[in-house]
Amino acid sequence: MSELAYLLKRKQSIAAWSDRWQAEAARFADSHRDLLPKRITNAQLYGLGNVVHSAGRYADIERFIHHQAEKAERAGRLDVQGYWNDLKDALGKLRNEAQALLKTLPLPAGTDNWEALDALHRELAELYVQHLIAHSLYWTPVQEESGRRER
Amino acid sequence: MSEQAVQEVALRVALERALARKSDEYDQSARRYADQLVGTKLDKTQIRGLETLASTTDKVSDITDWLKLRVGRDSKREGWAKEGIGRDLVNELEGLRNDAKKIVQGMGQGDPDLERQVHLRLCREFLKHLAAHFEYLKAERER
Repeated sequence: MSELAYLLKRKQSIAAWSDRWQAEAARFADSHRDLLPKRITNAQLYGLGNVVHSAGRYADIERFIHHQAEKAERAGRLDVQGYWNDLKDALGKLRNEAQALLKTLPLPAGTDNWEALDALHRELAELYVQHLIAHSLYWTPVQEESGRRER
Repeated sequence: MSEQAVQEVALRVALERALARKSDEYDQSARRYADQLVGTKLDKTQIRGLETLASTTDKVSDITDWLKLRVGRDSKREGWAKEGIGRDLVNELEGLRNDAKKIVQGMGQGDPDLERQVHLRLCREFLKHLAAHFEYLKAERER
C-alpha cells in the first residue's frame, strides 16, 4: 500500500471508529454523572482535553491520569480517584482497538510498528476524550451562579 | 467502460439523486429550527461556524460534539440551550441516520462505511438549509 493510500484509509478508518465509539464515551460519562460537575469539574475535564491533545506519547496521558488519581487519593476523595482509575482503564483498553485497526491498515515499508501503534492509540484516546467532555458538559451545564466562563 | 465501472457510476448517480431528494425534504424542517434560532442570542457567525464544521469534518460525531459543548456552556440559556433548541437539533441530526440507513439499503451496496458517509452528507444538507434560512430570517428581522 502506498503512503498516500495508507493515510487516506487510516483517516477514514479513524473517522468511522470515532463515530462508532461516541456512544461508548457517552456511556462512560453517564455512568459517572453523580461526580459532575462538583467532584470532577469542567476545568479538570478541559485540562484532560489539553493533555490528551498535546501528548507526544500515550504514556504522557497515562501519567497525567495516574497523577490525578493520586492527588484525589491523597485528598481522601476516593470517588474521584475511582473516576480517574476507570478512565485510565477505559483509555488503556483502546490499545486493543488501535491494534485491531492497524491490522486492517498494512503499514508502508519502513514504518516503525510500535510508533504507529502508539500514535494511533493516542489518537483514539483523544477522540474518546473529545466525546467524553462534550457529553459530560451536555448533561451538566455550567452553573450560572458560579459566575465562571469556561473557555 | 467495463460492466463494473458502469454499475459503479449508476450507483453513484442513484445515491446523489436520493441525497438531493432528502435534502429537499429537509428544507421545511430546517426552516422551523431557523425560526427558533433567530429568537435566541446566536448570530450568523455561530450558525455559519456549525455549517462550516459540517462541511469540512469527516465525522458526524464532530458535529454533535460541537453542539453538545455549546449547549453545555450556555449557562444563561440564551443561545444553544434556549428552550432546548440545541438538544432538539442534536437529536434531529442523530435521527438522520435512519434516512441514511434507508438510502443505503435501497442501493444494495456492500461498503460498510457507506451508511455513515451518507449520514454525514445528510447532516451537511440539513445544516446548509438551516444556515440559509437563519441568515435570511435574521436579515428580515433587522430590516
